[in-house]
Amino acid sequence: MKRTQEAFSVLGIFDTPDALIRAIGEVKGKTGHRLEAYTPYPVHGLDRALGYRKSPIGGMVFVMGFIGAVSALVLELWTSGWDYPLVTAGKPVLSWEAFVPILFEITVLFAALAAGLGMLLLLNRLPALRHPMLRTRSMALLTRDRFGLAVESAGEPLDTEALAALLGKAGALEIEVVEPSPARGPASPTALATGLAMILLACLAAAGTTYWGIKLFPRVIPMVHMLDQPRLDPQSGSPFFADGSGMRPPVEGTVSQGAPPYLPRSRQEAEGLVNPLPGTAAVFRRGRAAYDTHCAVCHGLLGNGEGSLTAAYGARPTRLTAGAARELSDGAIYHVIVTGKNAMPPYASDLTEDERWAAVHYVRVLERALDALDTDFQEGAR
Amino acid sequence: MSGPAARASILESLKPPPVLSGPIRSGELDDRLLTPVGRRPPLAWFVAFAVTSTAALLGFALIVYTIATGIGVWGNNIPVAWAFDIINFVFWVGIGHAGTLISAILLLFRARWRNSISRFAEAMTIFAVICATLFPLIHVGRPWLAFWLAPYPNQRGMWPNFRSPLLWDVFAVNTYFLISLLFWYIGLIPDLASLRDRTAPGVRRVVYSVLSLGWRGASSHWHHYERAYLIIAGLATGLVLSVHSVVSFDFAVSLVPGWHMTIFPPYFVAGAVFAGFAMVVMAMVVVRSTMHLEHLITAYHLDMMNRVILTCSCLMGYAYLLEGFTAWYSMNPSIHHTFRQYIGGTYGLAGWITIACNVAIPQLLWLRWFRRNIAGMVFVSLAVTVGMWFERFVIIVSSLHQDFLSSSWHVYRPTLVDYGILVGSFGLFFTLVLLFARVLPVIATTEMKMVLPGAQPRSGEGER
Amino acid sequence: MRGNSRQVTMLAGALGLAGVAAAFFFSARERFWINWVLWFLFLLTTGLGSLFLVALEHVVGARWSVPLRRVPETLASLVLPMGAAALVALLSLGTLYPWTSAEGLRDPLVAGKAAWLNEPFFALRVAACVLLWAASYRVLAGGSRRQDRTGDPRFNRRARRFAPLFMVILGLTITVTAFDWISSLEPAWYSDIFGVYVFAGAFLAGLAATTLFALHLRGAGRLDGVGPDHLHNLGGFLFAFTVFWSYIGFAQYMLMWYANIPEEVFWYEARLEGAWGGILLALAVFHFLVPFLVLIPRAVKSDPRVLLRVSLLMLAMHWLDLYWMLFPSIGGAPVFGWPELSFALLFLSGGILWVRRIMDGGATMPVGDPFLREGLEFRL
Repeated sequence: MKRTQEAFSVLGIFDTPDALIRAIGEVKGKTGHRLEAYTPYPVHGLDRALGYRKSPIGGMVFVMGFIGAVSALVLELWTSGWDYPLVTAGKPVLSWEAFVPILFEITVLFAALAAGLGMLLLLNRLPALRHPMLRTRSMALLTRDRFGLAVESAGEPLDTEALAALLGKAGALEIEVVEPSPARGPASPTALATGLAMILLACLAAAGTTYWGIKLFPRVIPMVHMLDQPRLDPQSGSPFFADGSGMRPPVEGTVSQGAPPYLPRSRQEAEGLVNPLPGTAAVFRRGRAAYDTHCAVCHGLLGNGEGSLTAAYGARPTRLTAGAARELSDGAIYHVIVTGKNAMPPYASDLTEDERWAAVHYVRVLERALDALDTDFQEGAR
Repeated sequence: MSGPAARASILESLKPPPVLSGPIRSGELDDRLLTPVGRRPPLAWFVAFAVTSTAALLGFALIVYTIATGIGVWGNNIPVAWAFDIINFVFWVGIGHAGTLISAILLLFRARWRNSISRFAEAMTIFAVICATLFPLIHVGRPWLAFWLAPYPNQRGMWPNFRSPLLWDVFAVNTYFLISLLFWYIGLIPDLASLRDRTAPGVRRVVYSVLSLGWRGASSHWHHYERAYLIIAGLATGLVLSVHSVVSFDFAVSLVPGWHMTIFPPYFVAGAVFAGFAMVVMAMVVVRSTMHLEHLITAYHLDMMNRVILTCSCLMGYAYLLEGFTAWYSMNPSIHHTFRQYIGGTYGLAGWITIACNVAIPQLLWLRWFRRNIAGMVFVSLAVTVGMWFERFVIIVSSLHQDFLSSSWHVYRPTLVDYGILVGSFGLFFTLVLLFARVLPVIATTEMKMVLPGAQPRSGEGER
Repeated sequence: MRGNSRQVTMLAGALGLAGVAAAFFFSARERFWINWVLWFLFLLTTGLGSLFLVALEHVVGARWSVPLRRVPETLASLVLPMGAAALVALLSLGTLYPWTSAEGLRDPLVAGKAAWLNEPFFALRVAACVLLWAASYRVLAGGSRRQDRTGDPRFNRRARRFAPLFMVILGLTITVTAFDWISSLEPAWYSDIFGVYVFAGAFLAGLAATTLFALHLRGAGRLDGVGPDHLHNLGGFLFAFTVFWSYIGFAQYMLMWYANIPEEVFWYEARLEGAWGGILLALAVFHFLVPFLVLIPRAVKSDPRVLLRVSLLMLAMHWLDLYWMLFPSIGGAPVFGWPELSFALLFLSGGILWVRRIMDGGATMPVGDPFLREGLEFRL
């Protein structure tokens, strides 16, 4: 039967590799169509006979290997050097010696994956499950022990009779005309729907897995062992104590670190306290910092009782730089800081001992600065 | 004895024998190797499978017990924080290296005798690496958090420590597994195509079809295929060197006396090839007799593999000698103590087993009889397997149990769970091997066809 | 042409000899002897590497290499004059090696090794190594020469049996040489991979010298039949063992860097400071990176012009490697002055003349080997 429009290829079967190579030599010049040989194993000399160019796979592998090397180096240097610098065993943070093994492995990984997947997917365009050759009766022979030479059509019509005769003259033992695969046609609505449904299913599966992984899996034994520990968590109750509360106040008489008990019970008792800090510039600066942070908001930056809260609250904080306040001893001021006075709350928890005394120094500085007395300039002034 | 007859006989003895005995054609090869695939195996297979899968299940049960209860069920203590877990890991990773050497390195050297054993050896690599990765996973105490080892952006803002050899291990072993799998699979594709074409239409045929990616043996495909295969072989060679070197770095970068010896990287690689080949020899001996493949896996193949084992044994001897000498030469009292412990301390017997099994017994392979006689080579290979396991034991446990601070010295005793998991790993390995023998051709049929007489054009014998 | 170049070489050798003699009298004693040690080790390791290549070919029964085999066999003859040079170098022990002096023995780390590091035992080891090398050379290379006349295949069998034994001998002797001549210059230091490292460098030097010499002979038309396929294999070996040498070198360095033990790192610290660090970088680039990248493409591995340049580079780098290992032990910055140049002229000329004389004394191919024809027919 002569089929000019419909054949995919005309295939000749040979029984030795020599016969195949001879046939290629004979057929090659006599037809303009593409030639493809089919062998059960790689036969040496076929590449030359068919005039194949060098495979580009080497270049692809080299490029991907290089990309792998650069990626690995960037990953290691950036994570260990910039984003989360970790000093281990005293090694410098950008220790290239320690980064070489992983660099090597990733380079090889990228290169080998490029070789394998590049060859299969890109160069050979596999998987190709619908290729016309797979439905021929000769395929079983070709993977077993026969060698085939096919004159293939790249879309143009083939003169099957002439080609069959050509192959026969070249020594083919059998000829088969290979039909093209049935046309696929546009995707049917059901196929599209199925495809979309599968994508949707895949998304749901991914989402479900993520949800399970993050929310539910930590609750599963043994993940949950870390969370369900026989210990007292903050804010939780406990049947062990009479009042059922897990959080216990400190024992009566506990003194917190850095805060020795304050003994004077009244301003009179506090009059005797002496400022332990020297009147140095450093202390004044510290006092200024403490004052500006905690006191200036009511007593004003200049100590004149005009702080930012004054107008809002209708309060009248003491003017520290004038009048009665000037007469106060250091101890009295300290006492007011610690215990508060009238609308002023106690500031014991806000300021450490040193900060309080430094603030006292600073108050004196303000007094002197804004309302200096002649006596202040004398030696040994307070 | 001189004269032309004597010379001719000497010449004959120098020529390498053909890679298979007896005439065989391509088609017959298919029949012989592909028919058993998927068929009902003999009773012996079922018996073996029952034994190995029981062992594997026992191992898994004990692993579940370990994870549920904690690492305390093992014998690990301080200072012996690494014991059977890491011994088994290094042991199994080492065994995998023989497969890559046979399939990749011998391919680069164009040694034709590799073709009948490469498929099986590669499969053994993959199964050995699977057994190996089990151990780092379960020994971390909280295996469900093992994913923390991967460098992914996370809410803790942390990255794994790239400077740690333990992380190098993660990358190296995973890369090795992936690339070995890829290499093995690519080699399988033409065989799967043959299987596809021999199977009647049905589910099996569809499976082979899909797995073979529709391979049709086109010359334009072979062109790229051969080149890619060779390139991956070259890369896999680099992996063989690097993976076990990275494993050796786990020890060598530390300060533990006996661990910080610079010879560790090549020494471990040689040891890996050594142990791996011993396992391949033992497996080959069983496969060729049960599947009647003696004409394809001939005495010559076994002889060559035994020669590799002998070479590695000499390399191990050299390494032990150097280690001992350098230990003395270092004039470091801690190292002196450790090396005295290797052969004289609590675990001195293990040290002597190591030397006897790794250096002394394999020297029998200088004798041709041992290289060619089945019982002889199985004896040597068994000794090597035992010796190499004990070598890792000596390196890890013996060094750790008495290191710098004498107040920390402590004896290690393995528990039944330790032994059970070790047995289980062997069970897992051989179960996978048995399954492989049942569903896939154990010899790379296509590669064998390449080296049959008359397979290649012009010259009669293929090339060397 | 040959006569001309021979005269030039002899002239260079004579100049070198004069310079070396002058160096003995007028330059520092350490500098003289360290140059001597450097050069005899350079040519010795090249010869040993070549002999190992011959042995390897016998062990695996390689056919492709048979036409080329006379080249490494001839290069291996360097072990004879270099054995003599090693015996002369015994005179350097007092100058260069701290463990020979009472002052050096004050360090307990050195004194403890006196059972190994003492002059009589050292000399005994050197003599034993030289004898073993000479004997091995006679069996492998001498036997091959004899086979040219007799054509007796029994040599192949004998060589195949002796070669593994030689490999064991080489492994042990080259380790002893490395530990004795190179690492005991700083006797507190120890590294058990050092023998493997020197072996890797030696084998690579032997391969490079073989390639170089083979290309030279081929260019002069004296190695007909050696084609691109043979060269491709040589190129492949050069590539593979460049990687191997780099791997061993890096392993030693990285392990010592990581543990940072003072008794080990001081050796590297001396070799990293100032210009020495630059030399190490040059080694990393020109002994690893450049040959590695250049030899990757398949076509390049059989290109004679590229192979020529790469082999020359490899040999130069092997020299630089030895220089970098040896010279810091005499202290100071890297030097390359007239003493070094004289030694270079003397030893290189001497080596070239010696090797060419041996090669001219017989066939350039093992004509008596029954597998020569198969080797010539080898195609990839």
